Amino acid sequence: MAQNIAVKVDDLTVAYNYKPVLWDIDLEIPEGVLMAIVGPNGAGKSTLIKAILGILPPIAGSVTIYGKPYKKQRALVAYVPQKGSVDWDFPTTALDVVMMGTYGSLGWIKRPRQKEKKAALEALEKVGMLAFKNRQISQLSGGQQQRIFLARALVQNASIYFMDEPFQGVDATTEIAIINILKELRKAGKTVIVVHHDLQTVPEYFDWVTFLNVKKIATGPVKDIFNDDNLTKTYGINYKVSIQE
Amino acid sequence: MNSAQIEIQLIASLVAIACAIPGTFLVLRKMAMISDAISHAILPGLVIGFFITQDLNSPLLILLAALSGLITVVLVEQIQQTGLVKEDTAIGLVFPALFSIGVILIAKNANDVHLDVDAVLLGELAFAPFDRLIISGTDVGPKSLWVIGSILTVTLGLLFAFFKELKVSTFDAGLSASLGFSPVIIHYGLMSVASITTVGAFDAVGAILVVALMIAPAATAYLLTTDLKKMLLLAVFFGVLSAISGYWMAHILDASIAGSITTMLGFIFLMAYLFAPSKGVIAVIYREKQQRTEVSLITFLLHLKNHSEKSERHVNHLCEHINWQKVRAKTVLDLAQQNNMIIIDNNIVSLTDKGDAFTTQAIDYIITNEDAQIEDMKDDFFLFRG
Ligand SMILES: Nc1ncnc2c1ncn2[C@@H]1O[C@H](COP(=O)(O)OP(=O)(O)OP(=O)(O)O)[C@@H](O)[C@H]1O
Ligand SMILES: [Mg+2]
Repeated sequence: MAQNIAVKVDDLTVAYNYKPVLWDIDLEIPEGVLMAIVGPNGAGKSTLIKAILGILPPIAGSVTIYGKPYKKQRALVAYVPQKGSVDWDFPTTALDVVMMGTYGSLGWIKRPRQKEKKAALEALEKVGMLAFKNRQISQLSGGQQQRIFLARALVQNASIYFMDEPFQGVDATTEIAIINILKELRKAGKTVIVVHHDLQTVPEYFDWVTFLNVKKIATGPVKDIFNDDNLTKTYGINYKVSIQE
Repeated sequence: MNSAQIEIQLIASLVAIACAIPGTFLVLRKMAMISDAISHAILPGLVIGFFITQDLNSPLLILLAALSGLITVVLVEQIQQTGLVKEDTAIGLVFPALFSIGVILIAKNANDVHLDVDAVLLGELAFAPFDRLIISGTDVGPKSLWVIGSILTVTLGLLFAFFKELKVSTFDAGLSASLGFSPVIIHYGLMSVASITTVGAFDAVGAILVVALMIAPAATAYLLTTDLKKMLLLAVFFGVLSAISGYWMAHILDASIAGSITTMLGFIFLMAYLFAPSKGVIAVIYREKQQRTEVSLITFLLHLKNHSEKSERHVNHLCEHINWQKVRAKTVLDLAQQNNMIIIDNNIVSLTDKGDAFTTQAIDYIITNEDAQIEDMKDDFFLFRG
């Protein structure tokens, strides 16, 4: 099965203040997978995504998106940061945050217009948040904030989506709503990469998985590599997860 | 008003506007302290620039001084990046060092430099109109007016051009970087504007007032709005309001203009802090009290709904059953009656249809946290507003 490689990471080492937190990562993510990145707190999951997106400069190694450096492929990529990484007291509305997703295609200086606003409203509708469009973002619940972030990524209309813990602090209903949207994206041929903490749901939600803990432990189809052996290697304690067929 | 008075107010207002714009973003980036650092650390650049140009309003001097402001920012970040100290400590390490270099430079050359530390810190707005800009023999106005006017024009131009970039990088630096708007470039752009504004303004109003004009109006505006554009407009408005009212306060009291403007800034902030409609102290206290009453009301209504037996619904028993003090019970009873939610017949309390429907709805809301159902109740009850 010859598949396109959407994201290729070669020998990537990333450091904060010269202290490496990711060592020598090699990773190939095929086009069209819905992939979970799993690993304990501090494993470097967020760091890996930030390095792929050029937010953090690597001290060694390279990243390509469909064979070209990220800088040339920005338009193909959407990013949902970890929710805690922004100031939710910032004076802005839900609609405005979603509009930010359109800024990339606008480029410097140009302002969003009717077309961008329409796209943002559609994305809000898709995540079931249209009624909240004029709410100040601090007055949204955690799950609603997460939906806003998802809408912002949807509006980017990308080919590859990186999401850092989109299920953090959301209830079961929202989780199902989000995963359905992600599955829809995959059906549309998009590649979706999700940092995920709930190991129980990995086989149900995802078809591809990467185990990460400072180094890459394993990567591949969930049905082949999501097993106790890799879990133990990643989390350091004996894991017994029964994978339902 | 004579023309000098008008000119002073005009200069003060332009300074206020030029400061409020970068100030708003500094406040949102939680970087208020850095403006303090910049305002002090420009001193060495200023003194060196003055040795070279002998003119406090020369563009070269402004650039040199702004550069030492930027050096401060870089140094602070470098020290912070070692991970050994926090940002405020780094700021505290850098700017006194740079400031004292400036002070020593002045002291060493006190004889041939007409520049003193007091003037740098406090400025003297009252003298600004006397330093005129003469172009080929014609007096075109005070120099500081031209300096700050040019800086303001550039700042406004940058704000209009890069508003969306400033917004996204302030709110979410990660997204901004991934979209290709380098937060580093935007950060240094903002710092340059803050430095140049500080230098351009300090001559007229002094370093302390510059800091106050950057931070106080933005902090006041932050309490009053949840919209970035409105916050900018309000910050500008409060800056100008303080500048003009401060000027007249100084005039009446025969006090320092810079000091009076700073006082007005503090006063206006205090007013907003106390009386802002949703974030103010009084509004918060009022809302909490209101919420307590409403929770009590719903508890009370729920009790009525759950108990059909008369003994549980007798006015006198209610107090005991729900375990409230008399005053609280009376407040709740009155509130429920005013809203036609209960009727009291022979001291027996029962729910009206409206009360019954309300209780069901309220409990539904509390359980599901679904918004749509209670949109129409929001105006009457605090509990349901965000
Ligand atoms: N800005 C920073 N400066 C210094 N060290 C950092 C910084 N951000 C993260 N680290 C360190 O890098 C390591 C990896 O962090 P990262 O945020 O990538 O972990 P993670 O796998 O996303 O964890 P979590 O599950 O908690 O989100 C951690 O040891 C963390 O302490
Ligand atoms: Mg993380």
